[in-house]
Amino acid sequence: MKKAETLTSERRRKTILSVVMSIICIIYVLPVVAVVINSFKVNTYVKTNTFDLPTGEMFAGWSNFVKGMTFGNYPFYKSVLYSVFITVVSTFLILLFTSMAAWYIARVNSKISKAIYFLCVFSMVVPFQMVMFTLSKTADRLHLNTPWTIPIVYLGFGAGLAIFMFVGFVKSIPLEIEEAAAIDGCGPLRTYFLVVLPMLKPTLISVGILELMWVWNDYLLPYLVLDINEYRTIPIHIQYLKGSYGSVDLGATMALILLSIIPVVVFYLLCQKHIIKGVAAGAVKG
Amino acid sequence: MLRKKPRFGNSLTRQTRHWFPLFVGPVLAAFIIGFVWPFIQGIYLSFCKFRLIREAKFIGFGNYVKALEDASFRHAFWFTAAFAIVSLVLINVLAFAAAYVLTQNIKGSSLFRTVFFMPNLIGGIVLGYIWSMIFDGILSRYGTSILMNAKYGFWGLLILVAWQQIGYMMIIYIAGLQSVPDDMLEAARIDGATRAQTLFRVTIPNVMPSITICTFLGLTNGFKLFDQNLALTGGQPIIEQGGSYVKTTEMLALNIFSTFYQSKSTSPGVAQAKAVLFFILVAGLGLLQLNYTRKREVQQ
Amino acid sequence: MKKLIALLLALVMCLSLVACGGSNSNDGAKTEEPAADGEAAPEDTAAPAASGEGSVYWLNFKPESDEALQKLAGMYTEKTGVPVKVVTAASGSYAQTLTSEMDKSNPPTMFVVGNANSVKDWSSYALDLNGTPIANELNTDAYNLYDEDGKLVSIGYCFECYGIVVNPDHVAAAGHTMDELTNFAGLKAVAEDIHANAATLGFDAFSAPDMDDSSSWRYTGHLINLEYYYEEQASGSKWTECPPSLTGEYFDNFRNIYDLSINNSTTDPKDLATGGHDPVNEFISGKSTFVLTGSWDYAAIAETVPNATMIPYYCGVDGEEKAGLNCGTENCWAINSMASEADQQATMDFMVWLVTDPDASRIAVDSFGAMPYKNAVESTNAFLAAADDYAAAGNYVMDWATNYQPAVDDYRAAAVSALNAYNADQTDANWEAVRGAFIDGWAVQYANQQG
Repeated sequence: MKKAETLTSERRRKTILSVVMSIICIIYVLPVVAVVINSFKVNTYVKTNTFDLPTGEMFAGWSNFVKGMTFGNYPFYKSVLYSVFITVVSTFLILLFTSMAAWYIARVNSKISKAIYFLCVFSMVVPFQMVMFTLSKTADRLHLNTPWTIPIVYLGFGAGLAIFMFVGFVKSIPLEIEEAAAIDGCGPLRTYFLVVLPMLKPTLISVGILELMWVWNDYLLPYLVLDINEYRTIPIHIQYLKGSYGSVDLGATMALILLSIIPVVVFYLLCQKHIIKGVAAGAVKG
Repeated sequence: MLRKKPRFGNSLTRQTRHWFPLFVGPVLAAFIIGFVWPFIQGIYLSFCKFRLIREAKFIGFGNYVKALEDASFRHAFWFTAAFAIVSLVLINVLAFAAAYVLTQNIKGSSLFRTVFFMPNLIGGIVLGYIWSMIFDGILSRYGTSILMNAKYGFWGLLILVAWQQIGYMMIIYIAGLQSVPDDMLEAARIDGATRAQTLFRVTIPNVMPSITICTFLGLTNGFKLFDQNLALTGGQPIIEQGGSYVKTTEMLALNIFSTFYQSKSTSPGVAQAKAVLFFILVAGLGLLQLNYTRKREVQQ
Repeated sequence: MKKLIALLLALVMCLSLVACGGSNSNDGAKTEEPAADGEAAPEDTAAPAASGEGSVYWLNFKPESDEALQKLAGMYTEKTGVPVKVVTAASGSYAQTLTSEMDKSNPPTMFVVGNANSVKDWSSYALDLNGTPIANELNTDAYNLYDEDGKLVSIGYCFECYGIVVNPDHVAAAGHTMDELTNFAGLKAVAEDIHANAATLGFDAFSAPDMDDSSSWRYTGHLINLEYYYEEQASGSKWTECPPSLTGEYFDNFRNIYDLSINNSTTDPKDLATGGHDPVNEFISGKSTFVLTGSWDYAAIAETVPNATMIPYYCGVDGEEKAGLNCGTENCWAINSMASEADQQATMDFMVWLVTDPDASRIAVDSFGAMPYKNAVESTNAFLAAADDYAAAGNYVMDWATNYQPAVDDYRAAAVSALNAYNADQTDANWEAVRGAFIDGWAVQYANQQG
């Protein structure tokens, strides 16, 4: 009898929690909802009627999106292309090269391996502001100031965390498998690509997600390194709109923000499990 | 940790050793460009007076003296420290509470998790814009704006960062909570412990590692905050303080950034000196964490 | 699989090559550093010029003229094949952008040195323009900037005027005449009357500028000029360099017109802080009668308000019936002395083309104002014509004393903050903070700049 009672009270408690959490959840998504409704609102009403639905004369249809496409004297699609290119290539370079380096560092026990590993760990605690000025100058001197070459800068600045995570994982893989491959006559290159890389998959995904998120959202590094008028990534473009002449068109800005969030949200919903796992892994180790 | 490494497939080790240029070379080259060289040059330049790098002239500690004398830098430090600590407590408490509730097997927990985590994927600049629209939408009804009062700026930034990071910390706490051994909870229940007792005596001690991680993470995140700060208030409002003008909501990272690109000819050197001080601060926190976690690992 | 490996290998090699090449040129840069000590030498440091032919990189500081400049750049490249790149700094960040761009391997070949402070900061990187072809094209020396040694650091490429732009039709519709607008009392009476009857008239008096970066300079960079100007007059001589402090003698006059403009406006003063209204656009669309702007907006305004005219900043100063418009410029070109000779030459050619070619100077004149060059086309700008009319009638020209603002971006930002607080709550205490930012702030920023 008593047990049944606690069970019902337990169930009631859970229901209440569920309801409370649902309400919080709704509040939680409100900012995004605000972006959606304001992206369809005529500019002048965005400030005065921020939380009203875009009805009647406030409704702007797609005009904010149309305007946003060429807003600030710069075609938005270019920003998207640059952002996508830089993010994908940088992540690919980081994954490939840092995992290779990490394997070498973990497996070849030499002074230089240790030194590099130490440097990587060290670089993780250095804030970007410390190197931003000199890094932007160095990148400029070496002509790494285009979207095609900036991934090298990302590889350099992002190497620390990636190597740290890969080394941690490689050390946990038993040596025997690689030894067996070596006995079968595999050289280091084949051993790495055929044997080690497949085993690294979970860490590759974790690191990949961390780097993707970092590079996609990064503002300061590309802002300082890239040639400002020619190449604007999405965050740079959005920030630039604020300083543009005339007045800030909040409606069009919200339209662009919405467009820049959508791919992120879709990507998130598709690979949610990996993303959450990757982020947790990065946090626990970093 | 320090046990002797098994000798790695002897022939393979020796073979691999020669592959250094291929395996490590590219990363090393990029690492030198992207980190090592800028870092060294940065340290050097913090002791120099320059407008353009090629004209740098060594002047000793002058930049550091100027940096520490700078009222805006000191203000930024206190603002940042206050922000980091308040955000640390707020975010961690809320994130832990959320994680605790979501691990109670309630209906819809995976949906809640999805929603709470989502803001974390949006970049700082975009977040700043979204929230400045929201805050101004509210504040304009009272004839004011987030740019007008440092208090609004502080709390606004706090709400923004909380919204962004609670989900992230929550994930870490969920992982921690799920690793609390069931038999311990069961034992507590059988002993007749109340829910609160179980939480404070059993659960929390068991998730200490997660708490440590989140504490340091929250602290360093708070100190390094830049994009959100830039996009939400950009340091506004500016007030006069002791004979100089101070951006009241400017945090350290933004202060360093704006010092670099001021028109004054001495400012890049001073900014670089500020950056070195900032680095020492953040690295200090990082090393503290490393030390702390390592100690724990030894204990375990 | 083998193919994949081969491909990856190739990629690695490429990257290593890039990286190595990189390190080498890095070494090169290092050894160069001591060599470029002291005075900037024109020949050596040299950005690698594109195969002998020079190119032009213009760092522009006015976002509003970006479109026209891009067009001009395209025209020139099409005509001569010389690449011209125009980069425009975001509003309020020119100094920052210039500092960072000048240190790059391809620094701007032409940049804007528009005021006394800028001359001090950048004169050692600017070519002496005395006796150069572009200087010989000038028809006046009035807009040139020299440093202490008499080096011609930069030369004006156009001059502008600003004041209060008026829609005469609206004034008439409200039952007033333009003749009433000859001093502050008249302006105030008309503006307040229009504002009081805005609902029935269908338009308001002022379109007050927003306080965000897109418009706040209309106050902090333009309207405030009346205070500086009258103070300069009172001191007996024209400023030739930044004065260490201000007296604030005419600051109440600034308040007169400031209050008038924000309190008789389409926008509630409390809403100015966050922006979102384009004042000039409001004026163009007929929502207001007065707007604070300048000759650069003439083309846009004339499309819908062809008879728009410009009146001086009336602010209640004695004898202001004889006031004229604020004429001057901060649009002054300097050539980067560190650029390669080919680039310098290309830049010079581009400048000369811009001020002599009929099509080019037409576009330039239409979008900037008048150009002080012998062979440039005449301006059709009615606002500039109004400026001439005032001058011809014996009224005094208010020169651009704002060009002397110390640490201009910081100074203005602090003023904006104080104005925001005042707009929200118009008390005398808050106005004291505004005065503090403009007047005391001047001395603070001046001292700061020196230190």
